[in-house]
Amino acid sequence: MRPGDPCLPEPGPDCVVSARSLIKQYKNSDRPALNDFSLEVREGEFFGLLGPNGAGKTTAISILTGLFPADSGSIRIKGMSFQDHEHEIKRILGLVPQDIGLYDTLTARENLSFFGKLCGLSGQKLAERIQQGLEFARLTEHARHQVATFSTGMKRRLNLAVGLLNKPQLLVLDEPCVGIDAQSRHLIHNQLQEINRQGTTILYTTHYIEEAQELCSRIGIIDNGRLEEQGSPTALLQQSGIRNLEELFLHLTGKELRDT
Amino acid sequence: MLKIFAATAKELLLLRRDRTGLLVLFLMPAILVVLITLVQENVMELTGQKKTQVLFLDLDQGDLGRSLQKQLSTTTLDLVLWDEKQKDIADIQAAVTGGGYQVGVVIPKGASARFTEETARLFQQGTGSGKPREMAATTVQLFVDPGIMAGLRSGVIAQLEMALTTIALEAKLAQLGGVLAQTMARAGMEPEQSPLAGDKLPALFRQPLLDLQEHQGDSGAIGASQYKPVQQNVPAWALFGMFFTAIPIAGSILQERNSGIWIRLTALPVSPLVLFTGKALAYMGVCLCQFLLIALIGAFLFPFLGLPAFTVSMHPTAILLTVVLSSLAACGYGIFLGLTCNSYEQASTLGSTTVVAAAALGGVMVPVYAMPQVMQQLSIISPLNWGLTAFQDLLLRGYSLSAILDDLGRLLLFFAVTVFVSWKLAGIRK
Ligand SMILES: Nc1ncnc2c1ncn2[C@@H]1O[C@H](COP(=O)(O)OP(=O)(O)OP(=O)(O)O)[C@@H](O)[C@H]1O
Ligand SMILES: [Mg+2]
Repeated sequence: MRPGDPCLPEPGPDCVVSARSLIKQYKNSDRPALNDFSLEVREGEFFGLLGPNGAGKTTAISILTGLFPADSGSIRIKGMSFQDHEHEIKRILGLVPQDIGLYDTLTARENLSFFGKLCGLSGQKLAERIQQGLEFARLTEHARHQVATFSTGMKRRLNLAVGLLNKPQLLVLDEPCVGIDAQSRHLIHNQLQEINRQGTTILYTTHYIEEAQELCSRIGIIDNGRLEEQGSPTALLQQSGIRNLEELFLHLTGKELRDT
Repeated sequence: MLKIFAATAKELLLLRRDRTGLLVLFLMPAILVVLITLVQENVMELTGQKKTQVLFLDLDQGDLGRSLQKQLSTTTLDLVLWDEKQKDIADIQAAVTGGGYQVGVVIPKGASARFTEETARLFQQGTGSGKPREMAATTVQLFVDPGIMAGLRSGVIAQLEMALTTIALEAKLAQLGGVLAQTMARAGMEPEQSPLAGDKLPALFRQPLLDLQEHQGDSGAIGASQYKPVQQNVPAWALFGMFFTAIPIAGSILQERNSGIWIRLTALPVSPLVLFTGKALAYMGVCLCQFLLIALIGAFLFPFLGLPAFTVSMHPTAILLTVVLSSLAACGYGIFLGLTCNSYEQASTLGSTTVVAAAALGGVMVPVYAMPQVMQQLSIISPLNWGLTAFQDLLLRGYSLSAILDDLGRLLLFFAVTVFVSWKLAGIRK
């Protein structure tokens, strides 16, 4: 399958994310970070965006979640555009940024409470979601401790929990498991799969091939700002006739360093 | 609305956790206001806006010393009497050249007797139209600190000379009265027929025939023309401290921008304007506390340091409004800095430089009227000048709210413009 082929010309009714020919070049850069990038994520999918460092994963996610616009191309989230329905889209969207998005000197509970209020939660509902978030991140014991005192694993877990506060229909995660131990990663993986089973569509970026293979129902391989290949892990391997995903990845993206 | 309060509460929590930052925010203007006011009190002394202390050593202990003391008691000179049994001229000289006192006056031994004698001899020149004899003046010794300003020096000397001239003139008149009475008696007239009989002469002498009257503007404040360093410094340095909160505000925005927080906030269904307002409200609280602290220092600590107390008896509502709008302007500037700069280092350098410059330009350090003409005209571009002018109109000139509306309007406009620009920048910065 070539990118952009499925669902064309009109995105199907089950397309949660539909991006067409996105181009984005940063002002102080000499080559585009996204170069004719197209992507479709369907309802209930666990989609993995796999790519080497500097491939354009964060840029793609930022544009797909409306943080900034692309230079050209179009985006629909559940059929809505950011121009007309920014607020509605943001309501159903949960974003877990690559850099930890937590206040260091606030406690776990205070962080959850603040971001929860900004999601429009209050009262009993807010208290419930905070409790769920703490349990989800396995931080109930540490609810009253400042984030600054947390390990990377704890921070990552809380970072994720905050993204889930509004019970999003579309959860977008940018490398949520960077720099954490096997235990935390295992926990996060299990929880994400559980959330996905409950119906949340997930868009997940990573540069770990095993991670993508383990979690995702469909994978897109991004390099140089372009989606090179997409499909289920097994389909990708069958098509290419390559034995494992890592080799396919290196075959598609080349062996030289990407961020030099 | 709830989101604004959530942002405010979060910001206050962050502030509470950053004890050191908060301490600096309050300690800095507090120390500055005390220090600068104390320093300026001394300047006031040197420029003669405060009573100048004059050491007075009367080695003679006669009429002359007493008359001089009496004459000087109505001037701006503050006499410090030294006991002639314990001190001598050398002590006075040492005290004055050492800088302990600015001026010293010594009445030498025998001065009164000599002065009386010479006055009496003044009118014993004999008859006929010959050239009068030269009289020997009685000397009063003066010591002046060579370090004092020329204006103060000539002011003090003029007051002393005025006192001596008056004493000499009164003595001459008294003598003249006596001579006149004797002459009339010799001519066979009754002393009562003299127009200058008895004690009439000194009384006549004191009648003012020429008068100098000072006129003030249409302000209602009593003694408004006096430069009051306390009433000027307290609001000035409070403003300075308030505008310095721009740096922690910028810092808090940059902390968010340089972590994943900003991305997270942008992805949430909340406008940056809501977040800015929440931040501004929290820091406005900080600014209000700063002003309160500085005002309390002025009112209660200053008297302990020998300074006059700061008073806000006039127009408390108008003053509160000025504080609030100045805080808003400071917050707006902080938000603007947070979005224009790319790192905390940049923001703190740019922030402190611009705030100090705006403070200097606005008249916080040197009053605007003491600046060169060009700078006076330039001072109008400094937001600190708007706040300070409003405070001075209220506290020094005694004007009411209506007189400061233009300055308050400027402060509000400054806040609106900085926040608007920041909002647009936030869009670009995405
Ligand atoms: N703010 C920026 N200004 C200029 N260039 C940028 C900016 N952000 C990213 N880039 C460049 O755009 C390209 C894509 O970056 P992006 O962060 O999207 O990659 P990524 O796949 O997320 O990488 P990583 O795995 O390191 O997170 C890179 O070449 C990067 O150097
Ligand atoms: Mg990235």
